[in-house]
Amino acid sequence: MPRSEVMDGTRGPAFSANIADARRKGDRSGLARVLIAALAVLAVATFATSIMTGAADASLGNVFRWLVGETAADQALSMRDRIIILDIRLPRAVLGTLVGAALAVSGVVMQGLFRNPLADPGLVGVSSGASLGAVLLIVLGGTAFGPIFALFGFYALPLGAFGGGLATTMLLYRIATRSGQTSVATILLAGIALGALTGAVTGVLVFVADDKQLRDLTFWGLGSLAGANWTKILAAGPIILLSLSVVPFLARGLNAITLGEAAAFHMGVPVQRLKNIAIFSVAAATGASVAVSGGIGFVGIVVPHLLRLVIGPDHRYLLPASALLGGTMLIFADMLARTIVSPAELPIGIITAFLGAPFFLWVLLRGRSNMGL
Amino acid sequence: MIRASDISVRLAGRPVLHGVSFEAAPGRMTAIVGPNGSGKTTTLKAISGELRPSKGKVTINGHDIAGLKPWELALKRGVLPQSTVISFPFTVREIVGLGLSTGGVDVSGSDRTVDDALEAVDLAGFSGRFYQELSGGEQQRVQLARVLCQIAVPVRDGEPRYLLLDEPVSSLDIRHQLTIMRLARQFCERGGGVIAVMHDLNLTAMFADQMVVMKAGRIRALGAAKDVLTDETMEAVFGCRMQVSIAPARDVPFILPQTASL
Repeated sequence: MPRSEVMDGTRGPAFSANIADARRKGDRSGLARVLIAALAVLAVATFATSIMTGAADASLGNVFRWLVGETAADQALSMRDRIIILDIRLPRAVLGTLVGAALAVSGVVMQGLFRNPLADPGLVGVSSGASLGAVLLIVLGGTAFGPIFALFGFYALPLGAFGGGLATTMLLYRIATRSGQTSVATILLAGIALGALTGAVTGVLVFVADDKQLRDLTFWGLGSLAGANWTKILAAGPIILLSLSVVPFLARGLNAITLGEAAAFHMGVPVQRLKNIAIFSVAAATGASVAVSGGIGFVGIVVPHLLRLVIGPDHRYLLPASALLGGTMLIFADMLARTIVSPAELPIGIITAFLGAPFFLWVLLRGRSNMGL
Repeated sequence: MIRASDISVRLAGRPVLHGVSFEAAPGRMTAIVGPNGSGKTTTLKAISGELRPSKGKVTINGHDIAGLKPWELALKRGVLPQSTVISFPFTVREIVGLGLSTGGVDVSGSDRTVDDALEAVDLAGFSGRFYQELSGGEQQRVQLARVLCQIAVPVRDGEPRYLLLDEPVSSLDIRHQLTIMRLARQFCERGGGVIAVMHDLNLTAMFADQMVVMKAGRIRALGAAKDVLTDETMEAVFGCRMQVSIAPARDVPFILPQTASL
């Protein structure tokens, strides 16, 4: 007994001293592992909080007792509360987690691929390309694209967004990369141009859309989790999970490619294949997210950047940490959106833009000298 | 043995190399010299597999590099580029550690190698610094340490391995120029091969076993420093008259810029 006390007493400090020592020698992997564990706990806690937060009273204890099937729980949770939790709050939290993780991870992959800390699907036009794909389907769905809806059902919208995102990403890569290097200025400017172009086409479509379609379309502009339901999760979830499960295999390649495409090739990375897979998964994850929640911006730039400040740019740790923090941040932003002007709610895209845009400017000004701007 | 056989390279449609052939044997240091734009770096890129020649082929230990996968090549040779700009805040240890994972496979994988490599390039104690905060010469040595992690031992499974270095000492002070050239020399003595693009003719004469002198995409002279560094070759290649002398103590040719006239 005294012995274990001694061990417990010393292990904690020794453990953190080890991490601090490794950190001084430039090894942040220990720190990264601890942070990932902490972020996982935070993600679970935020998820639980978001399910309990809202007008209906449903404490975590009651929900849990009901879920494990305790008889007394029938009194603890009314039928109405159960419906609120199961069909409104839970899908919303699940969708928020999925979309937040997808956007943050897409940001990391794009930044790694373009070797550029400011690349973000929202900023460089991938999201607007994806929403153009979705808008095309909504407006022309009744006519030209009717067969697509018939064929793919509720997967049609995510697939349309995916197609739009993929086309924009590939075009962007073509434009912004010259002999294996991308310049920050070119990519941001190309992003603006592509965004304007897709915006113009979207504008034309909005012009010809009818009233019902118009309501659907407005939703894409700002981004919201308000329409979350299990159908949307079923449509976007598998695509997001699939791309998120591919991405860890890119980690080492993305690390190598930060030294340049030639250096990555010299280190044994099949560069072209890595690029193809990375572009494909970014387009898929972004497309699916846009299809179910519209254009939620800045998650892909804020989350990776904050994490890089602490654990560094090693993608083996940055990718999982971004997925966790992205999900957490989006649920948190959604809680804000729901409560700030309660009982009404703000579109979540407004919250993320308010938090993200100043942050983006700060990153830009701080990193100016390093990015050749 | 790395063998370049009659390689020609076109860049953006323009011919840059015209039928370059030479051999770099393990145990020997080969230096490629020549004026700016003579095709030195292009030659190195063709040998590393980064550029595909329009004609001719490159073999490494008898294998045509066009038929090797990136990770197979990465096990046979390491490449040091001229300079590397990184836009993310990596520490020195993290950069050097990238060399440990080659094509997704950890070759050795212990932290000891990173420290060894850093010590070899005289950067012991730098592991916790941020790459972006280092000077150009220090960054260059960090990159070399990374390459030394990728190709830690000069001979693997009985097969010699190679270092391809593009101007490894161009941004270094005199002490570190000597450190790095000795390091390359030792790699050769332990059975590996080195091909380096060089600018400093005197340093090259001191360390290289074989010099490949290039001009306008062609090899103008090939051989030991003593045979290649002549008044005539220097004038023909560099376009300035210089007097090649021999350092009496070491029997190594040298050139004083003071003797040159344009």
